[in-house]
Amino acid sequence: MKALSTLGLIMAVASAGCGAATLPPELASARSVYDRASHGPAATLNPTDLHTAKESLDAAEHSFKEEGNSQVTRDLGYAAERQAETAESRARAMQAVAEKEQIIAGMHAATETQAKASAAGLVQANQQLASKDQALQVQGVALQTEVQRRKEAEKRAAQAAADIAKFASIKQETRGMVITLSGSVLFTSGKSDLLPAAQLKLNDVAKALTEQDPESTMVVEGHTDSQGAAAFNQDLSQRRAQTVRDYLVSRGVASDRISAEGFGPTRTIGDNATAEGRANNRRVEIVVKPKT
Amino acid sequence: MSKRSILLLAAMPLAWACAKSWPEPKQPMADAESAARSAREVGADAQPAAKLKVNLADEQIAEAKASIAKGDNERATYLLVRARADAELALALAHEQNALNDKQKAIEQSNLTLEANTPGATP
Repeated sequence: MKALSTLGLIMAVASAGCGAATLPPELASARSVYDRASHGPAATLNPTDLHTAKESLDAAEHSFKEEGNSQVTRDLGYAAERQAETAESRARAMQAVAEKEQIIAGMHAATETQAKASAAGLVQANQQLASKDQALQVQGVALQTEVQRRKEAEKRAAQAAADIAKFASIKQETRGMVITLSGSVLFTSGKSDLLPAAQLKLNDVAKALTEQDPESTMVVEGHTDSQGAAAFNQDLSQRRAQTVRDYLVSRGVASDRISAEGFGPTRTIGDNATAEGRANNRRVEIVVKPKT
Repeated sequence: MSKRSILLLAAMPLAWACAKSWPEPKQPMADAESAARSAREVGADAQPAAKLKVNLADEQIAEAKASIAKGDNERATYLLVRARADAELALALAHEQNALNDKQKAIEQSNLTLEANTPGATP
């Protein structure tokens, strides 16, 4: 019985010695760090290192189970913790590398897009410039042609005016340029038929008028002296103006640019009491009005 | 640390029990020293956390050498397990820092490029 009691005591002491060992801090940390790593980016980005850490942790756990809080358990726990940290660090590095590559790819894409846009803009700008250049060249040619044409027209007009000045007076008034032809040069007294010589003179007038500003308009005004019935004079002046106007149209003056109007004796320029004054009053005036 | 190394470590007590002698940990020593050297080569000394780990590895390697000198190969073996784990962590931390530095440079370069590409930006 005593022997049995002694054996029981020995077993109790042994049991106490093999009781629940204290968890070494290295193993506690290893569990904690592994748990964190297995729930972080390492789980997806770096499963290989995480698996190695798990195997080390398992070895530490095994050692703890077999040997309790031994130096070996602590060493294995220490290594397992570092391996879990290594798995985390490598996962973070992989993440940083992937992000860097993404940034570089984005930068290249943006640069490429910008370069394409710039090239397209450049092409468009060049096309616009070429188009404008062409238009300017055309305009330049047209301008030169117009300048030349006007110079020639002015020269011809000057020549025509000089020709007209031989048999008519030309004055510049506020209502326009006034070409005054004596009635006796154009018509027989009391008639509205042009004299043969008058037609030659009107040819020069027509030539001068066609060389004028093509946008100007003209009015042929008929005037008489005060002798005779006013109604007759009014009618005579109208018919004479119309005759001159029609003749000028027949010689090339555009019909829509020229009109005729008779004023009878209402607009005198000379004294109707004298022969000279009456001669001056019997006249045809062509008023050339520039475009307003 | 490979699965093979872990299994080897687990089997070592058994081998020791049978043979009554623990082999000198030549390969673990070489592995730990190589890992520490690699960590320094990639710049572990320039990064505080990595530097701490690689220094710990150095200390444990030195302790392991002392243990071998005293004939305690078992203790040396486990010291080298710790040393290698520290050195490999230092290496990983140094790599991580380099990767973060590269990423930061890419961000700055990208910002500069985008700024230069913005219409109306001052060159």
